[in-house]
Amino acid sequence: MKVDIQSLGTFNQLAHEGAKQATQALSQMTGIDAVVDVTKITLLNREDVGEDLAGQDFVGVQFDFQGALEGDTVLAFEADSVGPITEALIPGGADGEMAKSGVKEIGNIMMSGFIDGWADYLEATIDHSPPTYVEADGADILPEAPALDDQPQVFVFKSQIEWVGESVNFYIYMLPEYDPLADLMTEHAESESDAIPIDKLGVFNEMTTNGTEQAAENVEMMTGIPTEAEVTQISFAPIEDVPKQVGNDTYVGTVVEFTGAPSGYLMVLFDETSAQNVAEALMPSEPEGEGLTDEHKAAIEELGNIMTSGFVDGWANVLQTSVDHTPPRLVHDMGQAIVDPLAAQVGQHQEHSFIIESEMRTDEIEFSSEIHALPNERELRQALDDLEVDRADETDADIEQIF
Amino acid sequence: MKVYDGSETEQSAGGKPERKKVGIAEYEVTTGDAVLTTSGLGSCIGVALYDTESGAAGLVHVMLPRYDEGEGARAKFADTGVEVLLDELEKVGASRRSIEAKIAGGSDMLDFSENGSSIGSRNADTVRETLEEYGIPIIGEDIGGDHGRSLRLESATGDLVVKSASQDSATL
Repeated sequence: MKVDIQSLGTFNQLAHEGAKQATQALSQMTGIDAVVDVTKITLLNREDVGEDLAGQDFVGVQFDFQGALEGDTVLAFEADSVGPITEALIPGGADGEMAKSGVKEIGNIMMSGFIDGWADYLEATIDHSPPTYVEADGADILPEAPALDDQPQVFVFKSQIEWVGESVNFYIYMLPEYDPLADLMTEHAESESDAIPIDKLGVFNEMTTNGTEQAAENVEMMTGIPTEAEVTQISFAPIEDVPKQVGNDTYVGTVVEFTGAPSGYLMVLFDETSAQNVAEALMPSEPEGEGLTDEHKAAIEELGNIMTSGFVDGWANVLQTSVDHTPPRLVHDMGQAIVDPLAAQVGQHQEHSFIIESEMRTDEIEFSSEIHALPNERELRQALDDLEVDRADETDADIEQIF
Repeated sequence: MKVYDGSETEQSAGGKPERKKVGIAEYEVTTGDAVLTTSGLGSCIGVALYDTESGAAGLVHVMLPRYDEGEGARAKFADTGVEVLLDELEKVGASRRSIEAKIAGGSDMLDFSENGSSIGSRNADTVRETLEEYGIPIIGEDIGGDHGRSLRLESATGDLVVKSASQDSATL
């Protein structure tokens, strides 16, 4: 199957509009002021779906749907928000069965809007089941991602909805079956010229995983802290939604521009605590002074450089092209403000962007790091076009070359 | 079940002014005392317009300089973003003659362009040109530099509060 950029854009818009309608329904019923923050289409490994929900309790409603599109969809509320939501529905509040039926009621109305929006646009019928109430922590709130023998990766549509003024989020996940989605995307493709074969996008994802593993190994070698590569995914979103992919907390990290096939920007970002912890692991002695000192920042810059090299070499080896990068620029700022100028630079030439994201973690100290890359879309497409699929296992970067 | 109609959701709860979030390439206008916020401006610019006569206020978050050089919503671009905000303010009763502007953002951080000026400064130039074209004076600004900003426009007074990661907040 091939997807073209146009149809990815269209489907993203569709998911976004659907989420907006669902959110308006919520606002009308409860008076809760909520807005859709981000909608994106992501291709990732089945077992990684919902990884970003870890550590939170959720309640929600699940539906399965059939027709032009098949699969499952979930509306998940952070558990803390259930009180205020039922309070808005049933004055005086409710608990137990009453609260459940409140959630079910509101979920039903929100998600009917969501699914009807899709059906209207596609001018097709999509039926959905009655809502099932669900309660779980983390990714368990989601239904099983659809399985397909030779397809370890799945497409997920995800919208994050923010309750304005409260730090509460809602999520809409849609997990479509592969074949009907593929058919629809092919149907809505406008031209062959900018199509990307999905299997290659999958291969690209695998090689990003390898690049992240390489970067994690480099961290481990430098710091002596066992570091694991975590989720790797490739997402697609309108350029104005790209900065929102990173939270608005303060981050420390490095940014490079990479050139070659493809060109683009790559960020290695640490939250402040992680930055401090990992930098101290690199320092020969206790730092002088409080908080993030210049010494910390120098260590982060060095680490960012090594991680970037590992990551980029992973790509270059598979694509058999050379990908060079500028020296890293150190950043310490609000997450969204770091991404914003990069998205703007990419956005001068394209309306949507692929976002390559991966994470690494370690259990030993509080440490996590995110890598985000924004490739030039046309060049990425070209590089994928030239990619021979069986080259994916050749990503093991040569350590000797890096150091 | 309590069902609110749309107008009631506009009301603020408990006397606290309503807070409206403005995303990238989005705008909001208000005639009440709502607080309009936008966050994470790097090279983007937040343009706040306030009508001193009617008290109407609006905020737009623009990303790129010129509409005719790209694709997307009018509010995504500096020139058309200013225009769309002016239009919307006039629709709710504001008068161009009494509108004043405050602008913030347009940082040069992480600009890798080797030739020519950064997107941040081109955004700022385009905002200034467009406002001048419509005869709107800029009475406060915090533009450029190499840091990000978040904004809060207090519609009750027209105050624009600028926050950054490393500095104390300032009111324009």
